[in-house]
Amino acid sequence: MESATVAVGHDHADHHHGPPEANQSSRIDRQTLGILLFIVSEVMLFGAFFASYFFLRVVVDPPTWPAFPLPKGVAGMNTAILVSSSFTVHYALESIRRGNRAGLKLGLVATWLLGATFLFIQINEYVHLGFSARDLSFGSIFYCLTGLHGAHVFVGLMLLSFATIRAFRGHFGPAEKDHLGVEVPGIYWHFVDVMWIIVYVTVYIL
Amino acid sequence: MKLNEAAVFKWVVIVVIAGALVTVVTLLTRPLVGSLLGLAIVIAGCVYGYRWVSQKRREVGSKNLHS
Repeated sequence: MESATVAVGHDHADHHHGPPEANQSSRIDRQTLGILLFIVSEVMLFGAFFASYFFLRVVVDPPTWPAFPLPKGVAGMNTAILVSSSFTVHYALESIRRGNRAGLKLGLVATWLLGATFLFIQINEYVHLGFSARDLSFGSIFYCLTGLHGAHVFVGLMLLSFATIRAFRGHFGPAEKDHLGVEVPGIYWHFVDVMWIIVYVTVYIL
Repeated sequence: MKLNEAAVFKWVVIVVIAGALVTVVTLLTRPLVGSLLGLAIVIAGCVYGYRWVSQKRREVGSKNLHS
């Protein structure tokens, strides 16, 4: 009897590697919960920058805001590009939920290209703006806000690159737990998109 | 309470529509009017979000009570 128990114990040890499964009290899986908590911390970071923006806008003397002309049209077109990339990443995820691998690949590649185009246009805008981060408080906060967002787009592109490579190597499946590697970057990408809409409306339009 | 990419995408569409509305109103009138509209939309969003979360909490509470 004792030997049988020992044999079962060894069998269990052979199959289970690493620490025991963590107790999951939440109904959200831990990867999604992790990215949501990360996004909450990012909202606080952007909130600090927006608070600085509005503070400077109120206290600046003389009250000339924006201090330099901004290319609203080009930035508006760039906004449309980034918004459309949210639709393509959503298409990619809807495709893999239905088991359509070609749609997943197409959606991810399109999202990556649209994101890269956005970043390229943003850098091109910086080159042609005619003012730098050293020019007045407006220049500083403009580059801080748009630069912070640009850094997030860059990180999002890295995450999408990994997801795209994995998609082309045949990873991911229709089951919910089998495409978390696309779902989590997708949620992050939506956050980046929403943040840009707020940055665009605040800095370029209002 | 389902929190996934599809749920987040719904909020992206809402923010896009709100942003477009504020942009159009600001360009047609003055930045102050656009700012006030933006503030009103944010407050309305917070109230809607609070009510949505409260309703979901009640649903989860009643489910746990019956299970």
